[in-house]
Amino acid sequence: MSDIAVRVDHVSKSFRMYHERNQTIKSAVMRGRTSVHDDFWALKDVTLDVPSGSTFGLIGSNGSGKSTLLKCLANIYYPNKGTISHFGRIAAMLEVGSGFHTELSGRENIFLNGSILGMSKKEITAKVDEIIDFSGVEQFIDQPVKNYSSGMFVRLGFAVAINVEPDILVVDEVLAVGDAEFQEKCVQKFKDFKKAGRTVILVSHDMGAIQTMCDHAAWLSHGELIETGPAKTTIKSYLDSLERPAG
Amino acid sequence: MRYLKELFSARELLSYLTMREIKGKYKRTVFGQLWSLANPLALMVIYTFIFGLIFRITPDAGDPSGLNVFALWLLCGLLPWTFVANVINAGVGSLVSNAGLIQKVSFNRIVLPLSLTAASGYNWLFEMGVLVVALSIVGGFVLPWIPLLLVIMVLLTIFAGGLALMLSVANVYFRDTQYFISLILQMWMYLSPVIYPITMVRDVSNDIGGLFGSPVTLEGLYQLNPMVHFIEVFRNLLYDNRWPDLIEWGICAGWAVVVFGLGLVVFRKNERNLAEAL
Repeated sequence: MSDIAVRVDHVSKSFRMYHERNQTIKSAVMRGRTSVHDDFWALKDVTLDVPSGSTFGLIGSNGSGKSTLLKCLANIYYPNKGTISHFGRIAAMLEVGSGFHTELSGRENIFLNGSILGMSKKEITAKVDEIIDFSGVEQFIDQPVKNYSSGMFVRLGFAVAINVEPDILVVDEVLAVGDAEFQEKCVQKFKDFKKAGRTVILVSHDMGAIQTMCDHAAWLSHGELIETGPAKTTIKSYLDSLERPAG
Repeated sequence: MRYLKELFSARELLSYLTMREIKGKYKRTVFGQLWSLANPLALMVIYTFIFGLIFRITPDAGDPSGLNVFALWLLCGLLPWTFVANVINAGVGSLVSNAGLIQKVSFNRIVLPLSLTAASGYNWLFEMGVLVVALSIVGGFVLPWIPLLLVIMVLLTIFAGGLALMLSVANVYFRDTQYFISLILQMWMYLSPVIYPITMVRDVSNDIGGLFGSPVTLEGLYQLNPMVHFIEVFRNLLYDNRWPDLIEWGICAGWAVVVFGLGLVVFRKNERNLAEAL
């Protein structure tokens, strides 16, 4: 199975849509129930294989289930039905700078954040210079991050996340951070990733970015998988469907 | 067993999060770590004035230490109690206040309540150190008892950590928990022998005899409170400077293991749903 990085097998995921949610004991007792809800199926029986070493894009309109699938891949949500198997270490970058403590210095936050993302102390120590270099905030690395500009904050967060170097990286629209120069660096980093035989799964609404970066893509609509295959053809049929008049 | 292994592998993350709490807490304060002492000292002054001077509660002098200082006797029970209260107060909101992190990153969620427990433990260690010095100055012979003191401190930390695990999960589903808990903590403190000695309860219990004609006594019910036993051991070691009853050790260890085990089970069962429930 070495040619497959992630196998998504008949995965379905539902959320509860609450008409009434009693999160206080008083209301739970008074109404005699904690909630009234319907199930909303955000993913319906999705099956796909992500080839290892590929850059895999998930496309689709808002609310199509892309982010839900991504969170299932990242072990944040767990599917109700079906299984997801990973072949290799997985790391997710759904938000940059998660868990930063604003009173702590940039360097302390690198260790904290790296540890949250699953790196060991040894790995972080080995990588810390590279991370600082990549983020481009050397000058301020021993200052509390609350004094950082928002650009510096996300760049540092991004630098930590990208240096986790997992076998499989899951990315949610976080590419649009920093200035043009930093973006250039990121694109280069992703290319290196690919060269090293790692798998990247990403969600984006920027079809241009998907087109240039991805070799495979999957198109989701209303929780169902419509098409999966080479990026070009999948993107084309997705764009065609948008141009077609409704009905 | 596998879960314990997972827990062990998260120890580095646990230490970083604990450092985050400790370092972040007193940042930009002039007195820093000294603030950790402020709260117990203020309580000590108030309680000593009210219960020592006005109500004239006179605990037995330490046997065999011979110590007879109400304020220090009080602190031997008050510091463990405030530690438990701090762990519970901080732990109960640990998942809700980190909702953003839980929804964005996959990591072992159990480190959140446990890191707060450890951070409170660090502050408590500092407070207990000061208490040991104070006791030594007035003539207590505490130093040989320090290894045993550390053992009971670990047991109480495990006990409090187990409570934090359960309550943090409960608070995700019912946000009342955090308000309810401050009420419970007040009652719990007065039901524990923090500001009065357990001998006073025993005297009253003996006067009443069996409740409603049953063999159940007031003291028997009172002993169901685990803090009674923990505080007893702390006072024996710190104030009396003697070896606590083996039964008391057993009860404390039992409570610690059972509560922590239960906390782990509850946490594990709900861990996967946290990202959605928050």
